[in-house]
Amino acid sequence: MKDMELIEELLNSYIDGELDERKNNEVKRLIDNDKQIRRLFDSLSRYKKLMGAVASDKAPEGFCESVTKHLERHILLADTGEYHRAGKRHLVLRRLTTVAAVLVLLAMLGIVVFDIFVPKADRQKLVNSVFERKEKPQVLYEKPFAEVKPAEIEAIPVPAPKTTTIPLVVKLTLMTDSPVETDWLIGKVLTNTGLFDKTTAVERNTGSVKYVLNCSSDSLLNLLGELSFVWPKCTDATLEVGTEQAGKYITVNSVTAQQVLDICKADNYTQRVRMANDIAMINAATAVDVSKQYVAKDNIDYDLLMPNKPVLTATEKTEQLKSDNTLEQTNLTIMVIRK
Amino acid sequence: MVKFIQERLKAASGNISIDEASLVAQARAGNMDSVERLILKYQDRIYNTILKLCGNEADAAELAQDAFIRAIQGLKDFKGQSSFYTWLFRIAVNLTLNFCKKNSRVSFQSLQNELDEDAGRQLKDYLVDKKTTDPSELAAKKEVNGLILKALEKLDPQQRAVVVLRDIEQMSYTEIANTLEMEIGTVKSRIARGRKNLREILEAAVQ
Repeated sequence: MKDMELIEELLNSYIDGELDERKNNEVKRLIDNDKQIRRLFDSLSRYKKLMGAVASDKAPEGFCESVTKHLERHILLADTGEYHRAGKRHLVLRRLTTVAAVLVLLAMLGIVVFDIFVPKADRQKLVNSVFERKEKPQVLYEKPFAEVKPAEIEAIPVPAPKTTTIPLVVKLTLMTDSPVETDWLIGKVLTNTGLFDKTTAVERNTGSVKYVLNCSSDSLLNLLGELSFVWPKCTDATLEVGTEQAGKYITVNSVTAQQVLDICKADNYTQRVRMANDIAMINAATAVDVSKQYVAKDNIDYDLLMPNKPVLTATEKTEQLKSDNTLEQTNLTIMVIRK
Repeated sequence: MVKFIQERLKAASGNISIDEASLVAQARAGNMDSVERLILKYQDRIYNTILKLCGNEADAAELAQDAFIRAIQGLKDFKGQSSFYTWLFRIAVNLTLNFCKKNSRVSFQSLQNELDEDAGRQLKDYLVDKKTTDPSELAAKKEVNGLILKALEKLDPQQRAVVVLRDIEQMSYTEIANTLEMEIGTVKSRIARGRKNLREILEAAVQ
């Protein structure tokens, strides 16, 4: 079968004149000597002649013109490529403009809808929630002390000092949860300052200790300075400053060590009394626990509840009265009481 | 723009060479007259080959036109390694074979009743017997011509292509190999098988 295919291929090539001279001669000899191959050759020759005689069709009329017209159209289109690109750019620009216009219209429509449907009261809230703005804490109370500029205080005329010296008499009452420890500390301070010997009386009762001592003003200041270490052990402290009227005291509640020191450092009686009065008033004012009134309210900035503490202003002019009181005798009573 | 092209055509009309290479060169340079001459030179052969391959006149005209347009537009890519004629035929045959692949219609219809008694007998005598009938006379008969074309349609497209290029277009084996971009051995075997199949189809039709 393979041989027959090969022979057919050779015969076809022979008929088509595609063989070289040697193969051509071999095929010719084969055709002459083999009747079957001869018949096949005749058949192939006839077929080839028939196919060669098949009529050739000509291109339809106007074929060339049609092709050139198409080519011209292609050339025209190619030449207008830049215009096409420009057109495309223009189209894209128009579309973008349209989209932008639509967005603007939508935004305007949104504003109108917002204006119509959202109540005015809720607008700020809504806007804040949209833009995640932190809302300022709402003030639910009026400030107990209005923030007003302190008025110019005219100089208070202070009466001229009396020539007679009124001794410093102070009673310091310390309320504590640990009276023993406080007592021990006071004892140690008295020992360290060398005033233990000047203690005229020490009364120890259940839940209370009382020290009474007479000393110089400097020693007293020294002692009070040292006593500042006792304050952390105390829950409350009260200072009573003696006046010129016997048995009458100016009571300063919730006094601090520094305040005690300041009062006792006063140059003279008048200043001392005035300072004691002022500090007493300040402490009384700050002792009002305003926060208790609002503690039930939630979400309130606690700092805002605190009233402004009154302070002694520098404008309050006082006449500086100088006197040498370093040798002034003082009387100090310290009471330690269990709370 | 059309006016400009017409002016270009007129300007180039006095500068034409009949040599294919110079025609191609001028066509590549944009000379529309050379383009027209190239089309006129090959239009019948291209159309005829395509018609024999696809078997439909309208399709053949469209494919031929498409082939010329592609060839002229692709002239800038034509490197001259083969002749323009081979290159043009390659484009045309490839286009047609792709078209046939996409629009393949397998016909199982017998060709036995395609010929009248007289034409059938004459064709049978010619193919089987040794009676010498003039093949050109026979092929000139419209029915016989139609039968041959239908028989060609029944061939495998690749075999059909080599048979048409060889027996109708009278291309050499080398030209066929260049056109279809295949080995000469393949061309030989395909021609042998194609002719054998065609002969069998025709003989069956005249039995």
